[in-house]
Amino acid sequence: MMLSRRRLLKALGWAGAGLTAIAGPAYALAPWPALPHRKAPSADDAAAWVSLRPDGFIELVLPRAEIGQGIAVSFRQIVAEETGFPLERVAAIHPRTDRLPPTRATVGSDSIKDFGPLLAKASAALAAALKQDGVDSAAPPSGGWAAFVAKPRILTAAAIDAARPVSFNRAAARRVVGKPAATDQIRAIVTGDAPLYADDVRLPGMVFAAALRAPRLGATLGSIDDAAARAVPGYLGLHLIKTQAYVAAASRGSLERCIAAVRAAWVGGNVAGDVIARSIDIDSGLSRGALEHVIVQSGTLSERFDIDLRLDVPMAAHGSMEPRTAVARFDQHGRLEIWTGTQDVTFVRAFVAKAMGLSSDRVVVHGCRVGGGFGGKMLCAQELDAALLAQLLKRPVKVQWTRIDEFREAFHRPPSSHRIRARLTSDGLLDSWHHAFRSGHVIFTSAAMGTALQFATSFVGDPGVSRGAVPPYASAGTRVEFEDVRLPVHTGPWRGLGAAPNIWAIETAIDALARKRREDGVAFRRRLIAPQWPRLGRALERVAATANWPALKSSPDLAYGVACGIYKDMSYAAVIAEVKRSRGSMRVTRLWCAHDCGVIINPDQVRAQVEGNLVWGLGMALHEELGVVDGHVGATSSADYSVPRYSDVPEMIIDLVDAGDASSGAGETAIVAATAAITNAIAAMTGASVTRLPWRNQAA
Amino acid sequence: MRFTLNGRELDIPSAFAEDRLLWLLRDHFFLNGPKYGCGIGACGACVIHLDGEAQRSCLLMARDVAGRSVVTLEHLGAGHDSGLHPVQKAWIDASVPQCGYCQNGQIMTAAALLAAKPKATARDISAAMDDVICRCGTQQRIRTAVVAAQTSIARRSR
Repeated sequence: MMLSRRRLLKALGWAGAGLTAIAGPAYALAPWPALPHRKAPSADDAAAWVSLRPDGFIELVLPRAEIGQGIAVSFRQIVAEETGFPLERVAAIHPRTDRLPPTRATVGSDSIKDFGPLLAKASAALAAALKQDGVDSAAPPSGGWAAFVAKPRILTAAAIDAARPVSFNRAAARRVVGKPAATDQIRAIVTGDAPLYADDVRLPGMVFAAALRAPRLGATLGSIDDAAARAVPGYLGLHLIKTQAYVAAASRGSLERCIAAVRAAWVGGNVAGDVIARSIDIDSGLSRGALEHVIVQSGTLSERFDIDLRLDVPMAAHGSMEPRTAVARFDQHGRLEIWTGTQDVTFVRAFVAKAMGLSSDRVVVHGCRVGGGFGGKMLCAQELDAALLAQLLKRPVKVQWTRIDEFREAFHRPPSSHRIRARLTSDGLLDSWHHAFRSGHVIFTSAAMGTALQFATSFVGDPGVSRGAVPPYASAGTRVEFEDVRLPVHTGPWRGLGAAPNIWAIETAIDALARKRREDGVAFRRRLIAPQWPRLGRALERVAATANWPALKSSPDLAYGVACGIYKDMSYAAVIAEVKRSRGSMRVTRLWCAHDCGVIINPDQVRAQVEGNLVWGLGMALHEELGVVDGHVGATSSADYSVPRYSDVPEMIIDLVDAGDASSGAGETAIVAATAAITNAIAAMTGASVTRLPWRNQAA
Repeated sequence: MRFTLNGRELDIPSAFAEDRLLWLLRDHFFLNGPKYGCGIGACGACVIHLDGEAQRSCLLMARDVAGRSVVTLEHLGAGHDSGLHPVQKAWIDASVPQCGYCQNGQIMTAAALLAAKPKATARDISAAMDDVICRCGTQQRIRTAVVAAQTSIARRSR
């Protein structure tokens, strides 16, 4: 053990005394990583979600993370609806692995669709059990709640399956569901009077730690010297775990001073920005023939095109306001507890348990309110660091990423490049549609998979990259093909996954075809939408009516654009954008959106999601771009990465369509139409398609 | 070193004197309101009131506030109906927060602006709120809430 440790230290050129390292069985990184839980929830799972507490509250253990999408309040509404308890008497607690069966990640806008109906059934089953025992309202039974609750009331899968809830039935008289309600814990958010986020977790004796970060992508530690740090009050040492070095200190101020005092030399690593651009270049890909994955091939493609567009989408950051944060401690029985803002408590537990050689029942992960996820908080990073250091230091440890870490160490939306060639028939129908694109990985993210595993997946094609790439428009000949390319930067899921860039590309091309024919963008799309997507046509009609599209008058510096799209074959959005030009820059001054996610549980929260998606579309269109500069991801602070600010955000007029279709999701829908609506407005003004995001004034 | 924090006179422990004010507030006084977002004063998540003015607590040293008065989100509503400052109440009424992490900065910035300029124009509001980032996209509701709070404050002082 000592030998291998010494050899490792020698190999790394460590000079620091007082150094601790783990290189033995305590930390053996498995060759295959833990895999995320993928199963849909079952009635057995749902039995764990709702119970009656001795204080007369119904407790809801959330099977989904609250990441700002309003799922906690929406689920509380469902429970209140089914049980007859008032909303205030339904208490939600965040996902925690000791109270929930394994549950898949909060991703993909599927919480209402896949968990909501089951929660409604479990709640209705609980109500039936309570009623059988003589309680059919929130009034305490004679003898009070405590005695009543002492009798165990275990929900069975059979009872849950047999339940007949009303929450998703628009025809039923619903008291709570279908009505607006603000996000859970709003009072604590606006007053700070209760802990909410992982950084609000403080444990007795807790100390702070941080990983030493390489200044360049791919650089490795050459040598390190902590002599100066040892003089800093509060210094708790330099710790080597595998090849990663960490600094620990008694306080955050001390930690900052210690990191600044540690002298580290880094070897190698340097990624030129143009390597990434070359790797995803669609034209060099196409010049070698067909791409790796063909997802649609029907009819024959025309040799001639009306439009031939090369479209480029840059890398983009999640930019969650809450940096990744976790607290870990071992209790007196050797059980590991972790508090973290994550989209996947189940995966964090599996990952940490596997990496540390613990059985999963010795690890409890407490989910906290997440200060913005957007797909970025579904892996395990700071949680394992905190756990390893808590084990090493024998004290609770908090690890919080800096904003620089968020840009340099996190994964990002991959850049992609697209070529779309299309031709119309003489009567204006689609004769030929060919969309080819190359992108970094999304679901098969390099942030979680080694090269070998990512290579093994290359036979199937990353479904995150191809999301949304099948156009909703009918064409005599269609070919859609792509390649997922391993990049020297970490890329992964970002709001909407591939659907955000892919549908921007599709809607840009469709708009170019409409302009070529001098046909109205709404009418053109209505004609071409394939018959299986009537809800998309309806969304277009609705947004055109809300915006009074035929009456909108453009001028040299004022123009309108339209776009629409479908997310995961389940949710529909159509957007109209008004754009004004002043002194060479473009401002979005109004956005109209019609949004259809089926039966709505909480219209206030759906509306909030639509607003967020429109703002993200605005960011994609006019602001966001992350590159690789000087060997690392370009932005190093919030100041370097532009997202829409208060005065960039226009008036948004949102029309929620609820025609009684099955509930789907709202978290990632409107972004697919918003970006192209804005760039299509710019194209209407300038006469040229916007082919590179974000739009920049070429003359400037 | 002493300072006033949320109406109480307190000590600044010497171990924290050279730290960012944000760490003193979060890690010594266990306050939840001001948040770490960027550490360079660019995002606004850590805003507090220093002698009534909105300031970024990640850019101040703890010793900088000796002899001065700091108010955090926790104390903003003190003395108001149900413990909510009109800005906080407007924030709830307009259902502003999504993830909620930035809202400390939004609320503290808006409250300081309306205290200094009760008749703040749309341009004044933009100038103040542009420096506080919200990633979720709550800006439209922030606009509604700031205007509602302004009206409510004006009505109260009449």
